[in-house]
Amino acid sequence: MIEGALAGLAAGGLYAVLGVCLTLMARLVRVVNFAQAATGMFGGFCAVWLVTTAGLPIWLGSVIGILIGGLLAALIGWIAATWLSEASLTTRSAMTVGPLLLLISLSFILFGNKPQPFTPIIAGPAFRIGGVVISQVTLWTVGMALVVAVGVHFLLTKTRIGTQLRALSERPTTAELLGIRSRPLAISVWFVTGLISAIVIIIVAPSQSNDATSLSMLIVPAAAAALLGGFRRLDLAVVGGLVLGMLSGLVAQIDEVALIRNFLPFLFIVVLLLWTQRKEVWDAAR
Amino acid sequence: MTDDLLELDDVTVSRGAGPVISHVTLTVRPGEVLALVGPNGAGKTSLIESISGVTANSGGTIRLGGEPIDRLSRVARARRGIVHIEQGRAVFPSLTVRENLSLTARTPAEIDAALAHFPELEKRIDSPAALLSGGEQQMVVLARAFAAKPRFLLIDEMSLGLAPVVFTRLFPIVGTLAESGVGVLLVEQFTGLALGLAREAIVVASGQVTFQGDAAQLRDQPQLLHRAYLGG
Amino acid sequence: MPLADRSWFRFTWPFAVAVVGIAVGYALSEGLSGYFVFLAVSAVTAAIAILGLGIITGSAGMIALCQLTFAAIGAWIVAGLSYIDAPGGFAVWLVLGGIGAGVVGILVGLPALRLRGVNLAVVTLGFAAAADVTLVQIQFPGSADGTAVHRPELFSSDRGYFFFSVIVLALCGLAVFFLQRGRWGTSWKAVAFSERGTASAGQSVPGAKLTAFAISAALGGISGGLIAGQVQLPFASSFTPLQSLALYVLAVMSGAYLIDMAIFGGILWVLVPELLKQWGIKLDWGFVIFGALGVQALTSGTNLGQGIRNLFYRRADKRRAAQAQAAGDAGGPASPSPELSPAGARISTTTVATLDPVADANAPVLVVDGLSVEFGALKALDDVSFEVPAGTIMGLIGPNGAGKSTFVDAISGFLPRHGGRVLLDGADLAGMSPTRRARQGLRRTYQQDRVPPSLTVEAYVRFVARRRLDRNEIEHTLAFFGCPPARSRLSSVDVGTRRLVEVAANVLAKPRLLILDEPAAGLSHEEHLALAVRLRDLPARFGISLVIIEHDLDLVRSVCPRLTVLDFGRVLASGPQTDVLEDPAVIRAYMGETELLQ
Repeated sequence: MIEGALAGLAAGGLYAVLGVCLTLMARLVRVVNFAQAATGMFGGFCAVWLVTTAGLPIWLGSVIGILIGGLLAALIGWIAATWLSEASLTTRSAMTVGPLLLLISLSFILFGNKPQPFTPIIAGPAFRIGGVVISQVTLWTVGMALVVAVGVHFLLTKTRIGTQLRALSERPTTAELLGIRSRPLAISVWFVTGLISAIVIIIVAPSQSNDATSLSMLIVPAAAAALLGGFRRLDLAVVGGLVLGMLSGLVAQIDEVALIRNFLPFLFIVVLLLWTQRKEVWDAAR
Repeated sequence: MTDDLLELDDVTVSRGAGPVISHVTLTVRPGEVLALVGPNGAGKTSLIESISGVTANSGGTIRLGGEPIDRLSRVARARRGIVHIEQGRAVFPSLTVRENLSLTARTPAEIDAALAHFPELEKRIDSPAALLSGGEQQMVVLARAFAAKPRFLLIDEMSLGLAPVVFTRLFPIVGTLAESGVGVLLVEQFTGLALGLAREAIVVASGQVTFQGDAAQLRDQPQLLHRAYLGG
Repeated sequence: MPLADRSWFRFTWPFAVAVVGIAVGYALSEGLSGYFVFLAVSAVTAAIAILGLGIITGSAGMIALCQLTFAAIGAWIVAGLSYIDAPGGFAVWLVLGGIGAGVVGILVGLPALRLRGVNLAVVTLGFAAAADVTLVQIQFPGSADGTAVHRPELFSSDRGYFFFSVIVLALCGLAVFFLQRGRWGTSWKAVAFSERGTASAGQSVPGAKLTAFAISAALGGISGGLIAGQVQLPFASSFTPLQSLALYVLAVMSGAYLIDMAIFGGILWVLVPELLKQWGIKLDWGFVIFGALGVQALTSGTNLGQGIRNLFYRRADKRRAAQAQAAGDAGGPASPSPELSPAGARISTTTVATLDPVADANAPVLVVDGLSVEFGALKALDDVSFEVPAGTIMGLIGPNGAGKSTFVDAISGFLPRHGGRVLLDGADLAGMSPTRRARQGLRRTYQQDRVPPSLTVEAYVRFVARRRLDRNEIEHTLAFFGCPPARSRLSSVDVGTRRLVEVAANVLAKPRLLILDEPAAGLSHEEHLALAVRLRDLPARFGISLVIIEHDLDLVRSVCPRLTVLDFGRVLASGPQTDVLEDPAVIRAYMGETELLQ
């Protein structure tokens, strides 16, 4: 049982990092980016192409791939900031479904349907606990989740840009009326989270199913992780991601719940979320 | 010198079904207060929003220092010195007083200068703004505006929701700002104090300008004011 | 009366369209080549699924990203029933598949009662992903040994099956049409716009949301059942979450809440890949195109169907305005008919409402006893007590922030944790939800605009009134308040007039007590006065008691013989108008407005 849980920790770290990105985007730029993993996927596939076909060294190909992932995210952010700046979170999020579809199909066209030959950047075991091996990938993803969450918290509370971002997310109009440059700030947030997703996907892709669809649909467990924190709390997003990963790993080993095992993690999140929202009967705004 | 003027030239603001306020021509001069009064729903807020860029004007031209600014974004207009104080105490609730001020005041010295007019805020400086009383929040807004070093200040119903005692404490600050060279466009529902401070007054009712002229004249002739309120 | 208004016409033309549609379907089934017939079935199944999305997303405003999962459930049930040769035949299995999917839809919709917007979207996507994995594991009944799903006997050929699917589409279209036009459809549009407004109209919000989920999932299930019959060996790969996402984008882009656009969407679903195939372009560009079009639709805020409709509406509006001009009207919102105003009555700014000792002797319709509301440390309402005799008008005034809106929210049930009691006609309202209080006879209007613009005036009025109304009664009351005619669309009416419609609709509900929250805000001065005349008349004409919250002291003075003044959450004074307005405490509180009190 424990092995199952610890085996799921690598995936948990991945979900946690993506979940933190989603939470950040939801808080700061009022959007749940359904294409969060897809942009990283596309950047990763570009990296693979650069390395295998163009013959670039792995580090260079990866860096360019990561940058492409960030730029794609920034492009979507530019669309949102230009035409949907006054729209609701729901509408802005719905818009990102378009790029999700677009990027998956584009990757089929450019890179073919088969899984990509990712060269692992990080591989191998890190250490043992009891009888279980913790891989380096696990260490990196969980570490990344913690570093990003803590780093973002520091940025938001202790720096000038952080204060501006928080102001922008609370009252966008008032912030703009004070001369805070909302568009460049917003697009930067998209860019940075795009970079982070690309990095974590490039690290993890070699060790899991890495066709375009599977990677892009990582948005689902990532969103479930962010959902635990109500798309507001970074710490709960990290916890949600790790717990989700471990639960999935644990449940995969239990045969009795075969049919519903796929639903368990998702049900867990839903129940928890409903419980935390039990007092809010009326939507304040409407 | 047109360098320093904020001019509206036959400005109309529309929303969906039709014009909310039409054919407004006015000039705000540095160091002077222009009072914009009128009943609820007359279009005063829409006019202010068109100046600061929250809404676009559908007709006419808005000029700052002689140059039209109709196509500029809110951010650009704010950076050119047009500060819009919104209705209803626009503080950022989860930011502390200090953080709210730091958005416009770059150095600790500037924060202190802004707070000089509001000693009551000293002990609340690290409180999240959401926990402050209405009057204190409005003080934060005014201090923040001070620190932004505005050229023109657009104030929308500063008194709304504030106890009279608080409001009479805050109102003279507007005068101080004007004296330091800022041009103030003051929208107020309560006409008495506004007309006392202003040089020029405009009355708007049902989307039309019904009086434009000397504020003192309006203050001294209440029937003129009454008629202007009901007209249109 | 124009043809379009006659009730027999309004009831029968959808059936005529359906019959024509079925005839066209028959012609196509005979005329198209075999390959296109197969494609056409796919278009029909997609159209039915999009029809369902049109309800949940287009009308009810909830993002559901699992429509094809509901289809998979329907397909699974049909395949299962076919495998065990259950009695009834394909048509019965199809219906059962729809019902089964509908039940699951209600279960998936339960989180929707507390989760909104994107949170709900994520839950539906999570459900779709989990179901997909499960489906891949357990596969469809009969897939293991290759047992094909039995088609209906009469329609077992490909052409025959296409004709059958067209019949199903026509029936679904009819059902959706009448649902949308009826109470359920109005409740969906209302709940999409404002949950509070919906509850205050006596409509259960959970009911509206769950029926939307149930119907849209059922349609998804029927679509899936048809797919099972079409391919006869269904596989999980036809129902993936990714395809649900693409379908969602297509639905949003085309405007699926309009039935014709749902059909158009279904055609697009097969047409785009087909065209690409004809031109030798890779099929994956199909989703690229959908993705780009989806972004375009969502950034422009409109969709294809609505765009086309708006063109027609604009021309119709222009034509109607021209006709009204010719007839001598001023156009725009109608001014209140002079013959309906009390003879010779004209309200000037010096009119004062007088007390009616007969009415004052009535038992109170509303008793507020020690009402207190706290938000954390802030006491928004502190021991508020007063009574409103039945058949009278009470004005509730006070400076901004005094607690008037909090008061209305507490009385109407939106702040359940309050201290004190509220009695309506002697019955304690404690524990009653806003929906129940509305049904008990306590109605309220809102300061904010909570009237859904996607409805017509008539649909909204019937929805709020919650009782059978004949056309005359509606037209009469609308004219009394100076509202636009019943056929007008609320989107073409300005905000101030929309709020008048809100008042008229709530009056038609014949409540015991109607609380009006700043009904005159957004109206011009003439309209203020005209409204004041109407309001004075309401108790006598409609038997309603009123509590009016207002800023405009002229209106208050002329309409309300009794006043209650709130300041900082406490009652400063309550009683006859003249006494209250001369109370020095009241004058002090209104210091800034003393010039208006004189």
